[in-house]
Amino acid sequence: MTNANLRRALLSVAAPLLALLVAVALTSLVLLALGDPVRDVWITMLSKPKPRQLTNIVNGAIVLYLSAIAVAVGFKMNLFNIGVDGQYRVGSFAAALFAGQAWLPGILNVIVAIIVSMAAGGLWASLAAYLKVKRGVSEVISTIMLNAIATGLVSWLLLKVAVQEAGSNAISTKVIPESSQLAGWKLIPGESNRVFSLLALAVLVGALYWFILGKTRFGFDLRATGSSETAAVASGVKVKRMVMTAMIASGALAGLVGMPLLFGQDYSYGTTFQAGLGFAGIGIALLGRNHPIGIAFAALLWSFLDTQANALQIRAGVAPELVYIIQGIILFAVVIAYEGTRRLDVRLEQQRVARELAALRAARVTEGAAA
Amino acid sequence: MRPLLKVAAVISVGTMALAGCGGSTSKESTTAGGSSSATSGSATSSSAAASDVKVGMAYDVGGRGDQSFNDAAAAGLDKAKADFGIDIKEATAVNGENEAAREERLNQLVDAGYTNIVAVGFAYAASVGKVAKENPDVHFAIIDDASDASKAANVAQLTFAENEGSFLVGAAAALKSKAGHIGFVGGVNVPLIVKFQAGFEAGAKAVNPKIKIDSTYLTQPPDFSGFGDPAKGKTAAEGMFQGGADVVYHAAGGSGAGVFTAAKAAKAWAIGVDSDQAKTAEAGVRDVILTSMLKKVDVAVYDYLSKAVKGEAAAGNIVYDLKADGVGYSTTGGHIDDIVAKLDEYKAKIISGEIKVPATM
Amino acid sequence: MGRGGLAITTLASPSLGSDTLAVEVTGITKRFPGVVANKDITFSVRRGTVHALVGENGAGKSTLMKILYGVQRQDEGTIAINGAQVDLHSPADAISSGIGMVFQHFMLADNLTVLENVVLGAERLHGISGGARREIRRISAEFGLDVDPDDLVANLGVGDRQRVEILKVLYRGAKILILDEPTAVLVPQEVDELFDNLRELKADGLTVIFISHKLDEVLSVADDITVIRRGTTVASVDPKTVNARQLAELMVGSQLPTPETSESTVTDRVVLSLRDITLAGSEGRNLLTDIDLDIHAGEIVGIAGVEGNGQAELVEVIMGMREPSAGIVKLEGTDISAWEVREIREAGVGYIPEDRHRHGLLLDAPLWENRILGHQTERPNVRGQLIDAKSAKADTERIVREYDVRTPSIHVTAGSLSGGNQQKLIVGREMSHNPKVLIAAHPTRGVDVGAQASIWDLIRKARHEGLGVLLISADLEELIGLSDTIRVILRGRLTGTFDPDTVTSQDLGSAMTGADGSHDVGAHDAPSDAPQDLR
Repeated sequence: MTNANLRRALLSVAAPLLALLVAVALTSLVLLALGDPVRDVWITMLSKPKPRQLTNIVNGAIVLYLSAIAVAVGFKMNLFNIGVDGQYRVGSFAAALFAGQAWLPGILNVIVAIIVSMAAGGLWASLAAYLKVKRGVSEVISTIMLNAIATGLVSWLLLKVAVQEAGSNAISTKVIPESSQLAGWKLIPGESNRVFSLLALAVLVGALYWFILGKTRFGFDLRATGSSETAAVASGVKVKRMVMTAMIASGALAGLVGMPLLFGQDYSYGTTFQAGLGFAGIGIALLGRNHPIGIAFAALLWSFLDTQANALQIRAGVAPELVYIIQGIILFAVVIAYEGTRRLDVRLEQQRVARELAALRAARVTEGAAA
Repeated sequence: MRPLLKVAAVISVGTMALAGCGGSTSKESTTAGGSSSATSGSATSSSAAASDVKVGMAYDVGGRGDQSFNDAAAAGLDKAKADFGIDIKEATAVNGENEAAREERLNQLVDAGYTNIVAVGFAYAASVGKVAKENPDVHFAIIDDASDASKAANVAQLTFAENEGSFLVGAAAALKSKAGHIGFVGGVNVPLIVKFQAGFEAGAKAVNPKIKIDSTYLTQPPDFSGFGDPAKGKTAAEGMFQGGADVVYHAAGGSGAGVFTAAKAAKAWAIGVDSDQAKTAEAGVRDVILTSMLKKVDVAVYDYLSKAVKGEAAAGNIVYDLKADGVGYSTTGGHIDDIVAKLDEYKAKIISGEIKVPATM
Repeated sequence: MGRGGLAITTLASPSLGSDTLAVEVTGITKRFPGVVANKDITFSVRRGTVHALVGENGAGKSTLMKILYGVQRQDEGTIAINGAQVDLHSPADAISSGIGMVFQHFMLADNLTVLENVVLGAERLHGISGGARREIRRISAEFGLDVDPDDLVANLGVGDRQRVEILKVLYRGAKILILDEPTAVLVPQEVDELFDNLRELKADGLTVIFISHKLDEVLSVADDITVIRRGTTVASVDPKTVNARQLAELMVGSQLPTPETSESTVTDRVVLSLRDITLAGSEGRNLLTDIDLDIHAGEIVGIAGVEGNGQAELVEVIMGMREPSAGIVKLEGTDISAWEVREIREAGVGYIPEDRHRHGLLLDAPLWENRILGHQTERPNVRGQLIDAKSAKADTERIVREYDVRTPSIHVTAGSLSGGNQQKLIVGREMSHNPKVLIAAHPTRGVDVGAQASIWDLIRKARHEGLGVLLISADLEELIGLSDTIRVILRGRLTGTFDPDTVTSQDLGSAMTGADGSHDVGAHDAPSDAPQDLR
């Protein structure tokens, strides 16, 4: 059995590595076809990041990690929550609005604002959950619609409550009080910028995700539902309630996505608040195979590529969109590689079971008295 | 590329040159042109030779080729390069990036040794402020922002009085509208574009207080696709034309192409924005462009760079308004020749301060 | 299984010239991971005959068929059609070689007419209207298929649909028809009609390969029989010279196990009782009507019925997956009609589902997690809200040992086990929580003979321990052998009660179709009245 585990571990590492290699090869072909400098691109891409960039990579990964975990909770039970994007914006806006009022002092303000964000994200997701459970509306459709509605709703509310700084063309919520701005940690020496304090939140969320899904009854029910809904029903799982719970949990986690940005960087929610994190989360959850550690690596890789987008255009002279191409190819390759290794794994396992049973049978026959 | 713009640029630069390097001023806000003091903040005496100036351009999403204000900035850069032979490097924002990515872009340009870094778009405000403070020896310029966030001793904040230019095309629209019904299509509902709308409506109402104005925005932030989606622009303008409007002004970047198409189909007028679109739009629709509100980003960029080449480091807020000829209207096609006199009257009143153009709705 | 020993002496080599052979299969070998595949399959089919391929479930018949129909490629060996060797890469190759296949699961579109279904994909042969209609009528008349091209398939019964399937392959010019378990879905009367059709086909010079494990049928219709066991051909026999028992022993390779129970352990204590259970269907028709059923401790109650007559719904009502429209279910006197599945399982109802892949297992999960499934709230699987993996694994080891689940480890996925071992795991799991009632739906379907015998043993053991067992099965021999009482279900009603000591398969067959007069409606439309569940 250690054998099987080792094989599975090797396969699960081999698949993304293979995908990366394929992505490198295909990207090189794209570059060649476009007449871009292949060598420069990879030299730039693989150059050692400066401490400042390392910090940025870690910070980017923290946010992406939270987004991917939110998506992964849905994935674990075959729910495709495309709506993380809308949910985190609704949540971030609500939290920024709340924290900006400075009703509570310092860290208490942060904690309650995070809860507000989770509540808002969860509430937003509950609309999709309700539609799925009561009306049979596919969550894919409803969450896409809700993303659009979230965009409209948040910008409308933003216009209502926004404060506009003199001379600025950007609008945002009231800046949160300085006592609630988190300074960050100096984890990476050599630069002035700091790692988000809410790295702690991401670590906590990852640990809880691992624990709840892997070690609790609730997690078992959730995974069982994802693995086979019919078997879960027969085993006594109330699937509708499970859909409701998982979707809302996914939305509440989505509420966390914007928190490191809000308290560690932007200090308000405005027109320049990072968008599109929910969609990146889908890819990262896929790349990380919904595994808390796998997602961490995937988020770091994603963030690394994002960070290199600037270096690519400035130092290698290619369009930053190349990074999108690379990310897209990686995802494609990963999906294919995962399916390939999954099938390989199933085959290897069946072969092994057959082989070992055959050996067993042979042993019995030699014993003679078996029948 | 756009001859008129170039001419305008040259004229403008000429003015700037005449203005010369007036003494440094403590005023927060100065006008760029005219005889009044163009600002030079601190670090005035870098006295770099032309070849020493290396320019890093950080564009907003869309970058060079967006047919909108990134392109206008690029035009200024191209001209500066042609005239002064400076070394340039361009980098473009990607959609959905965060603050750290913008900082990183500026930092990379600093790392690569660029001496003058121009950030195109207000999204760069905070990052310009931060990176400028960390790198006091590098000079920065930011377009469309004059907030405290981007303020630093080595930052030039280049802003425009879009409302003033829009006032004039609003007046033109009202003068030319037979139906007494005009329209405004904004790309994305952000304060910057609201400024266009405010000026346009004020101008129209100055001519005809009872005029009917339809105003709409194509998208809401953070969805910025309203600046690059001609289909959306076309739908919005079609609605206005069908509703009886006969002149529609767009401040919607690339989406404006759809507004022109709709105007062509409705046999009505459209008003362009940023550059003289009667020269830059698709040939087939140029004849429906009544006039264009000119926002001379290229002039501002060229100004800034030409000063840099001369060793002056501009800083503080430099406002490109009607007085500084930083905004205005175009007359290509001769469609508004009959009302130019009227418009110039308004222009004079705005410059003199007799008319105060609102910047918000 | 390890039952070596029986010498194969009957492997007859066909001495006929190849000019009369429609199909010659020589040395076909197909390797598959983990399942019984084909090894050195050799047999010949004479033109104009019905040739039966018999073998236990999992003996390799399906694989062989797929190879013959070009769905899969053999690793070794050759196939010759009418004396010429062929290379079948796809069903299209097979069709052009004159091979047609009638699948066990019908492939018809309900909302199209017979004509439309037949021409679908063969539009170029005779067009899609007049020509095609004439051709269908001609084929129908020639072979006595009695198919009207303009009937809507949705209105057809199972037997009719099967004839449409046969017509479909004839329409495409097939001279060799492969029928996969064609009688599995038919009631006895329909089986007779099918055999008449086959005889007509044969008379017209067509060749039929008939795959089955129902030996009586095979003996009555086949001209030649080839027996497949454990992936290889072990004998070709003449049906005139063997009886069913001998044939079965050839199939199994040893003496047959019998499902007979020992002396009665039935008590007078009712553990599960159903009163007036009615379940309304979606179209105003009842799926179940007035079901009254008592199961006593130590009793096995068998339910006989043609599939789709309400068995699945009955199980779902008892398990709480569906709430009955009327009536009550009592477990040891407590009304559980409105309980949730989990409460019912916790209260002591063990469940062996009809489709273990869909309802009984998580195929991608390891055995020890499957041991938790269905008992997520009970020890040793959990401790409070937490999964107790250590105890669950230890208990899985025990189940594997005690219930003879053949697996190298409890960490392999459930999907990598054979059907029989999967089923033993399920039985072991369900028996590990002291159930009072065991609901066993088709417990030996698709499992090999060895596992079948042990599952019967386990069910007998459960009965001996005082459980009430509800046994639903399509295998009448199993029902008669195991049950203390047999009830017949027809169109959602329990229509008859039989004593297994005196009843015969024929009696049950008549009761199942209503032909014994216990039900006033003719047998013919019985199956089409209930939802089609032709899994």
